[in-house]
Amino acid sequence: MNGKNNPKKSPIERRKFLQMLGTAAAGGSILLVAGGLASRINRAEAGLYWQIDPAKCTQCGRCETHCVLNVSAVKCIHANRVCGYCDLCGGYYRSNVKELNTAAENLLCPTGAIQRKFVEDPYFEYTIDESLCNGCAKCVKGCTSFGNGSLYLQIKRDLCLDCNECKIALVCPADAISRVPLDVAYKLKDE
Amino acid sequence: MNEKRIIKAITYLSILVFAGAIVGWHLHSPRRDFEVLAPGADNRPEGLARNADDVKIGEFFMRYNEESSTRTGQWNSFRGENSTNIVTTPEKLNIGDSDFPVIWTVETGEGHASPVIYNGKVYFLDYDEKLSSDALRCFSLETGLELWRRWYRVPIKRNHGFSRTIPAIGDDYIVTIGPNGHVMCCDPNTGDLKWTVDMQKQYKSEIPFWYTGQCPLVDNHTLILAPAGDEVLLTALDCSTGEVLWTTPNTVNYKMSHSSVMKMKLNGKATYVYAGVGGICGISADQADAGKLLWDVNKWQPSVIAPSPVQVSRNQFFMVAGYGTGGAMIQVSQSGGTWTANVLDAYKPNAGIASEQQTPVFYNNMLICVMPKDGGALRNKLVCYSPNDLHTPLWSSAAEDRFRLGPYLIINDKLFALKDDGELYVYEIQKQALNLLKKQRIMDGVDAWGPMAYADGMLILRDAHSVKCIKIS
Repeated sequence: MNGKNNPKKSPIERRKFLQMLGTAAAGGSILLVAGGLASRINRAEAGLYWQIDPAKCTQCGRCETHCVLNVSAVKCIHANRVCGYCDLCGGYYRSNVKELNTAAENLLCPTGAIQRKFVEDPYFEYTIDESLCNGCAKCVKGCTSFGNGSLYLQIKRDLCLDCNECKIALVCPADAISRVPLDVAYKLKDE
Repeated sequence: MNEKRIIKAITYLSILVFAGAIVGWHLHSPRRDFEVLAPGADNRPEGLARNADDVKIGEFFMRYNEESSTRTGQWNSFRGENSTNIVTTPEKLNIGDSDFPVIWTVETGEGHASPVIYNGKVYFLDYDEKLSSDALRCFSLETGLELWRRWYRVPIKRNHGFSRTIPAIGDDYIVTIGPNGHVMCCDPNTGDLKWTVDMQKQYKSEIPFWYTGQCPLVDNHTLILAPAGDEVLLTALDCSTGEVLWTTPNTVNYKMSHSSVMKMKLNGKATYVYAGVGGICGISADQADAGKLLWDVNKWQPSVIAPSPVQVSRNQFFMVAGYGTGGAMIQVSQSGGTWTANVLDAYKPNAGIASEQQTPVFYNNMLICVMPKDGGALRNKLVCYSPNDLHTPLWSSAAEDRFRLGPYLIINDKLFALKDDGELYVYEIQKQALNLLKKQRIMDGVDAWGPMAYADGMLILRDAHSVKCIKIS
C-alpha cells in the first residue's frame, strides 16, 4: 500500500506541526509582552506633565524667556480665596507709584493682563487675562513680597507642548518645575 | 511696437503698485490692536478717586500666619517699661565665650524704627518703599514668622531712611506714629484698626526735617501726644477710643521736635516734660489739673533735638542735643503756687557729656551715653559722668571703641552697646571703669541707630535694612 495515496494520512508530520505551533506561541508571547510593555511605557509617559510648584518658585522671570513657544505656556493664576482684594496691591501697581489709578504708567504688568474692578471701598477684585499674560512673574513677585501670594505661576495644559525636556525646567534656579501626574496637573493655591 | 507697450504697461503697473503701497502704509495703523490703559478702567466711583497724597491711615490689613505663645516678657515702649532703658531680669545672661545665636532676621524698609515686644510677639512700624507705605508689622518672637501687618500709603522721600519711631503697646492697644505724623491705634492681637489721628491735618503740626521722631507715651491707658501745632502743644487721648481727654494750648509757640514726651515726678508733681523746638516745658500729669502748663524754659533751645529728657534727681532733669548744642541741667522749682524752671548748667559738646541722637541712661547715679562727633577727644566714645559734674568723665570706652550713633541699654548690671556698623559690645559697669566682657559682630550693619529691645532672653537689634533677634540668656 502506498502511503501517499492514503487519504487518512496528514500532509505534515505531527512532530513538525507541534514544532511550528510552539514557535508561533513563543514568538507571539514575546511580541505580546514587548507590545504590552511599550504600551505601558507610552501610557505612563503620556500621563505626566510639566508643572510649577508655587512654593518653590522664586519669580526669576525665566518662564517668560525660556519656553519654546513664542509666548510662554506659563501663565499667572489668581487665587481669589487667598487675595486680600486690596486697593494698594503690590502685584498690580508699580513701585513708588504716584497715583492709584489704572493709567498704564502706574501698572506693573507690562502687557496689561491684570485687570481689576471696584467691589466696595477699598476693595477691588483682580482677574488675569490669560491671552495677554506672558508669564513674566512681575506681579507674582510683587504679590509674594508684600501681599499674601494670591498671584502665582502655572503651566497651562492646553498650551504646553509637553516637550521631553522642558526648556524652562532646565534653567529654573529653584528647581520648581517637575513632572506631575494628570490628576494633579495643576498645583492650585485655593483648592 | 509690442515691446514698447509691454514696457509702458509694466511702468504704469509699477507706479500703481508703489503708489498703492504708500497709500496703504499711511492708512494702516499698527496700533489697531492696542488698548488704551487710562484712569477709570476699574470702575472706581468718582467720589472715591485717590490723590497722590490722600492718606487713609490703617486702611489695609493682611494676615499671614496664626501663632500663639506662652511668653509674657514685655518691652512695651520707647526705653522700656520704666522709660529708662534699664531692665532687671531673673534670666541668667550668657556672657561666656560662645557667640549669641541669631534666632531670626527680617528685612525691612530703610529706616530706624525699633520694635516693642509683648507676650511673645514683636511689633514695629516699618516703611515699605515699593508701596510707599507705613506698615505696622507683627512677628512671632520665637520664630520671626510674620503674623500680620496693617498698612497705609504715605508717599514720602528718603531722608536718612524713612521709619523712625517705636510703638507703645498694652493689652488692648498698640499705638504708632508714622514719619509724617500719622497716629494709628490697633488691637495688638487681631490687628483691627481702632482709631487714627493725622497730626498735620488735625493740629497743623509742622513735621520736622528727617520726619517725626517722637515716640508715643502711654500713661495709665492715656496716650500723650505732642503735636506742637498751631493751637495745641500737648494732648491726651483715650487709648481705647481716641477721644481727646485734654489739650494744652500752644501758648509757648513750640514746633514739633524729634524728642519724646517723658513723664517725671518733679518736686513731687507728676509732670510731662517735652523738649520742643523753641524750649522745654512741663505740663501737669496730675488728674486734678491735667494738661496745665506748669513751667517753660527757653534759655536752652537747640534747633534740632532728638534725645529726650532724663530725670536725675528730685527736681532736676538733664538734656542733651547734637549739632553743636551740647548738654544742660535744668532745675524745676515751686514757690507760692508758681512753677519755674532754670538752666543750671549749659555747655558745648566738647566741654561735657553730650549726645546727638540717643537718650542717655541714668544708672546708679551715673549718666551714660555716646558722645557726638563734635565731642572733642571723646567723640563717639561711650562715656560716663556724674550728674554732679557734667564736665569730667568718670570713664570712657577704649580709644578704638567708638559707637557713633549706635544704641545702648542696661540689662541687670551689664551694658549692651551696639556700634552703628552692627558690632555688639557687652560691658560690666563699674563706678570708675568700664570692663569689656564680650563683643560680637551681629551684622554687617549700616546706620544701626534704632534702639534695642529686650524681653524673654531675646535682644532685638536693627540697622537701616534689617531687624535681628539674638538669644542672650
